[in-house]
Amino acid sequence: MDFMDSIRGMSFFDMHVHMTSRTTDDYQAMADAGVVAMIEPAFWLGQPRTGVDSFRDYFASLVGWERFRASQFGIRHYCTIGLNSKEANQEELAEQVMEILPLFIYKEGVVGVGEIGFDDQTAAEEKYYRAQLDLAKEAGLPVQIHTPHRDKKQGTSRSMDIALEHGLEPGMVIVDHNNEETVREVLDRGFWAGFTIYPFTKMGNERMVEIVKQYGPERIMINSAADWGISDPLAVPKTAALMKQNGISDEAIRLVTFTNAVTAFAQSGQLSLEELTQPLSIDQSQRYNGSSVLRGGQAPRVDKESTIIK
Amino acid sequence: MNIAQMSQTLFYLIEQQPDSEKAVSYLRQQADAFQANPQVAVFYRVFTAMPRFVGKRMIEVPADMAFAIERIRPGFTVTDWTLDRLARVWWLLQLPIDDQTYYVKTISELFKAGELNELVALYSSLPVLAFPESWRFQATEGIRNNIADVQSAIMLHNPYPADYFDEAAWNQLILKAFFTDKDVTQIIGLHERKNARLAQTLADYAAERRAAGRSLPTHLEELLG
Repeated sequence: MDFMDSIRGMSFFDMHVHMTSRTTDDYQAMADAGVVAMIEPAFWLGQPRTGVDSFRDYFASLVGWERFRASQFGIRHYCTIGLNSKEANQEELAEQVMEILPLFIYKEGVVGVGEIGFDDQTAAEEKYYRAQLDLAKEAGLPVQIHTPHRDKKQGTSRSMDIALEHGLEPGMVIVDHNNEETVREVLDRGFWAGFTIYPFTKMGNERMVEIVKQYGPERIMINSAADWGISDPLAVPKTAALMKQNGISDEAIRLVTFTNAVTAFAQSGQLSLEELTQPLSIDQSQRYNGSSVLRGGQAPRVDKESTIIK
Repeated sequence: MNIAQMSQTLFYLIEQQPDSEKAVSYLRQQADAFQANPQVAVFYRVFTAMPRFVGKRMIEVPADMAFAIERIRPGFTVTDWTLDRLARVWWLLQLPIDDQTYYVKTISELFKAGELNELVALYSSLPVLAFPESWRFQATEGIRNNIADVQSAIMLHNPYPADYFDEAAWNQLILKAFFTDKDVTQIIGLHERKNARLAQTLADYAAERRAAGRSLPTHLEELLG
């Protein structure tokens, strides 16, 4: 059976996806599968940036061009802004990035500081993680934490310890990229637990079904973290379908694929459940013209079956 | 233009908006704090976070206010603006003008980091900012922008281009307006700044459209003569 049949009519919130690296085909497929909103955390672009202007332009594109692209497919695009852990290691540049962060974290639609945390767990990473926790606290924004691939369990505990040390409420912190080894501690300590369904390196969705069965849907949320690597922008709807096939209730599915993420990030004051349940009209008057996804009077839908291109 | 007078008039208009008491007291507080201690970080935070404190409702502009604003800066209008846009433009007028380099650099940084609504406010403000000659290049960047609302903020109901653009920049504005389906009748100076080179370019454009079997934008033919 086509997975789309079992989730028809459901709405999804992919709370971690790097659309900058994806095509309009992905937006189209996500919209068709019921994704109505997404959060794009600021991260690294696969190779290190060499100047602060690259960061500035990247942050500006997250609140500008990318938000617009999403809107053309009826998808609400929010973002979290921060200095990622890998690039925190270039200290001279990191200092300059810290200086421009306040220009971005107060912008509309910025729902948190993220994704921040540890990669190699160096001293520099810790320094800028701490500085950004203070920034989030001052701005009253949630924090989206990237947990490390290596030495994950210990790195996750340490990330939470430091967040508490800086006076953040666990309810304002979303700890992402969890797995079977980290989930219990994250939930027990009152943090939100994000799970990334990403082939080979992070969670598979059969494992995810088991986690929801074992821990229930409370404070758990899933995402695709689709980016420039081999990843799947339909990970959230596909996992919803798999949960349904495995007898998880519609209510629980809605919590882990939509509502929990809304509740957590609505604490920013920059998004709300009411807003998300209104359809986003595809507003032609707001299109980016000229060299854009929609040129001239182009319609946002392209008939992929036709061989004629007008 | 008298900046203090424009600032007062815009603030008076903000005060006249329904249910604006909270916004007004916030703005007054921020302006006092900034005047006492003009830190650029404060200037940026207030500009950026504006929608959180004043909201984004459409403003009402009584005829006498529209008239008063136009008297201070001919061609300048705030009709159909939202309150955050108006408040942001008013806020820009609070920046001290005693040091041109500092003034231009401070506002240029806002352009560099601006998102859609901020850019709309910034381009709208060009006719009332100090050192008007300093914004010529920035204004052409607005024409090059890909966001329709940003293009409109500089192209339509904005007296800055007609006052300060050279012929090449002006012609680019008109051509881009046709390309992007703007209502060119809303361009200030559309007829006053007609020129032979523009007529030629538009004639070529019209021929290209016909050859592709596409219709001509309305009002294009009026500029050919």
